[in-house]
Amino acid sequence: MSDKISRRDFLKLAGAGTAVTAILTGCGPESRYVVREPYTKMPEYTYNGQSTFYATTCRECAAGCGLVVRTMQGRALKVEGNKLHPVNKGKTCSRGQATLQGLYNPDRMQNPVRQNGRGSGSFSEVTWEEAVAEVSSALKENKPGEIAFLMGLAPDHLFDLASQLTSALGAETPLRYGALSMFEARSTLSEAAKSMFGQACLPYFDIGHSDLVFSFGANFAETWLSPVAYSQGFSQMRQGKPGCRGFLVQFEPRMSQTAMTADKWIPVAPGTEGQVALALGRLVADIKGIALPAALSAVDVDEVAEVSGLERGELAKLAELFAGAESPLAIPGGSPLGQSNGFDSAQAILALNVLAGNLGKEGGISITPSTGVNEDFYHHPASMKEIAALVDRMSAGEIKVLFVHGVNPVFELPAELGFSKALDNVPQVISFSSTPNETAMRADSIFPDHTGLESYGYQRIWTGADRAVISGGQPVVAPYYDTRATADVLLAAVKLAGGKAAQTLPYLDEVEFIQAQLMGLVSTEGGLYGAGDINTFWALWQQFGGWWKAEPGLIAPQVPGLSRAIKIAEAEFEGSGDFHLLAYPSPILGDGSGANYPWLQETPDPSTTVMWNSWVEVNPKTAAELGLSNDDVVLITSPAGALEASVYIYPAIRPDVIAIPFGQGHSALGRYAQDRGINPAELFALIFNSTGDLAFAATKVRIEKTGRQRPLARLESRVGVYGDGEG
Amino acid sequence: MGEKIIRFIKHPLVLIGIGFITIVILGGAAYGFKITQTPPPQPIQFPHNLHVGLGVQCLYCHPGPLTQASAGLPTQSKCWACHGQLKKYADGTVPLPPELVKLKDYVDTGTSIQWVPVAIVPDYVHFNHRPHIAGGLNCENCHGEVGKMVVAINPQILNMGWCLDCHRQRAGVDQEKLIKLLDCGTCHY
Repeated sequence: MSDKISRRDFLKLAGAGTAVTAILTGCGPESRYVVREPYTKMPEYTYNGQSTFYATTCRECAAGCGLVVRTMQGRALKVEGNKLHPVNKGKTCSRGQATLQGLYNPDRMQNPVRQNGRGSGSFSEVTWEEAVAEVSSALKENKPGEIAFLMGLAPDHLFDLASQLTSALGAETPLRYGALSMFEARSTLSEAAKSMFGQACLPYFDIGHSDLVFSFGANFAETWLSPVAYSQGFSQMRQGKPGCRGFLVQFEPRMSQTAMTADKWIPVAPGTEGQVALALGRLVADIKGIALPAALSAVDVDEVAEVSGLERGELAKLAELFAGAESPLAIPGGSPLGQSNGFDSAQAILALNVLAGNLGKEGGISITPSTGVNEDFYHHPASMKEIAALVDRMSAGEIKVLFVHGVNPVFELPAELGFSKALDNVPQVISFSSTPNETAMRADSIFPDHTGLESYGYQRIWTGADRAVISGGQPVVAPYYDTRATADVLLAAVKLAGGKAAQTLPYLDEVEFIQAQLMGLVSTEGGLYGAGDINTFWALWQQFGGWWKAEPGLIAPQVPGLSRAIKIAEAEFEGSGDFHLLAYPSPILGDGSGANYPWLQETPDPSTTVMWNSWVEVNPKTAAELGLSNDDVVLITSPAGALEASVYIYPAIRPDVIAIPFGQGHSALGRYAQDRGINPAELFALIFNSTGDLAFAATKVRIEKTGRQRPLARLESRVGVYGDGEG
Repeated sequence: MGEKIIRFIKHPLVLIGIGFITIVILGGAAYGFKITQTPPPQPIQFPHNLHVGLGVQCLYCHPGPLTQASAGLPTQSKCWACHGQLKKYADGTVPLPPELVKLKDYVDTGTSIQWVPVAIVPDYVHFNHRPHIAGGLNCENCHGEVGKMVVAINPQILNMGWCLDCHRQRAGVDQEKLIKLLDCGTCHY
């Protein structure tokens, strides 16, 4: 063999060899080597090889999307949206798809335990009888004022049960909180709606029928309020009407995934969004020839142009766009409301809608009606001030027992608030978490609830649907482990304790409690289905995955005059650094409870394509000034703390802003989440807006180069992106 | 370059090598074909003849055909519902026969019986029992005299020609029926 074979020839031969092998082996007939593995005890309604579908409600966030889950032989296989459900209309987000990984998570809590010393991570197993006895004596032996419940935004049925329990005991109503409610400033939005429309609510924004949307930091294509519903609204706005393509303008300092889909991204200076809205309002009034309402009289357009960093001409162009649109809509999102002047900004942005005259109209703002199930309770999430008050009471030793369900305050609250330290002054902490999260690891006992797909429940729809909806949940599989529904534990504990609470809550179990709450709907007119009695109603409820009105119907908000001047205070910031810190909920991991799902960790972030880690976004101009390049580790210092993260050079952010996604940085929560990335909540200084919500975007930070590098795992190429890696 | 390859291939060592590799691949393919085409043994040598002889209906253990696609295979709880009550075994007068010992083991250990399906079609065929029963066919029309077999065996290869033969016959001269029954989309969708 005198001639050497070239690489090219070798590849040709190898290719031919592979093809022959494939033909010889791969293309044979179907395999006959098949076995079936039936149940040991098969329910009558299932068959081998045949799927059974169940309608239920997603618990990954509080939006209440309807799901249909395909199960086979008692195992949940695939999650899809419920096509009939008015919120998500058959779609889901990535977190909804990944909810299966909560069910099958290897790090789930599998049975009730007591922890041998808080934070030790060593547990001794207890029986459910002992667990119920512990809860019961905690309820009985402490004074009502010494009992506190801290709950998540979902599920509502458990909140209702705990509310009835606390009111029977004379204890304080449970507080509801979640990182998403902080990042969306829900409490501020609700207060602003109250001050403008006379009703505290999260309004329904009809994006679908609007032809121009001014979104002030509302990242509705990611996590904001009801992302699946509003993303669909957006798609309808763009493609729903032939020949009319809706126009989206996004005002925010950092280009989010929502801004990427927008027609125009306007990087206004943080804290000036409300002023921009007022200035636009004034210009719109001028163009339309409306007498200037008092609300807008205080604004000086030139001054706004100067502080916000927008050209006056650009403001005028935007105002023309708004004035010329048929049904324009302005949406107050999270980051402008998370400033010290957030409440004023929210009102200014809502005032734009009043000026446009879209209240209660198609393509405008309306209020989603209630279904009437326990509507008197205080449902809206607590503001940060209310949580701070609880933390103060905990620190002072006034709280003797704390029950935690559906929320992970040690991780989700700003570290500066001192929740973690205050826990040390609470003698008894009982967690109902189904995952070993940071708060559960600081609890004395963990009595795990089922995961969402194993649970009964319901969720009231606050926003996102065009009609009154209550979304229903049912188990799609039998619980895999020795977990128990928290509602059942509370009911059993109350029964054991006796007294007034036992008389108020005489229910046998969770299902009986839920049915009692839904009783009013059986005779309600106009529903999707009618039923003569609760059992028939319950069968249909489970079949459809909830109850809703057959026809759309929204409440028109009271149209207020704009006679009261809206004054926007100058935004206050804390910290001596040069950079605004903008933390935003990760579009993939949400409030961080999804960080233990490998599917989500593996999903590249839509704007940076980074996976499995945290990063800090820095404008290329800033990076050049500071001598930073991609993957350089920087130290970020705020008045509250300091963290290290790798730099991601991101051209779509203002040079005076740095951004960090929220969701990583867990010190617990299982193998996939633990010790990965950073938690920006550790950097938040405690500044509140006037409704008591945290001004989470009002912290200023310093960044310093550490001289080290830590490469980020990212999907995009490292060569040729913004000139990086060339030459 | 083509000449170079031919010259390279003609080298005796290369020819021997290619021959050797071809034999290995063909051998592997034959072995692979054999193992995928041989079904595993049934976990229990189930005597169909005995059960049918005792008057048990097909639908008792395979309840699906009337209502849905799959006929279904019985679970241990169904077997044990009867066998657990047989007095002659319970009081120990008659020792448990070996096949029932296996069943008892499944029940005692709580494991499922991994039946080997006999009549199966490939995944791209969407076979459904229900219309066949509705069309007036009986089990034995396709599955043969299972009542005379011990372990069930297919009386014929369930290939497309066999399906279409029957579809053609049953359609007769009715053109509309013929189109419906011979349409690709009837089974492959």
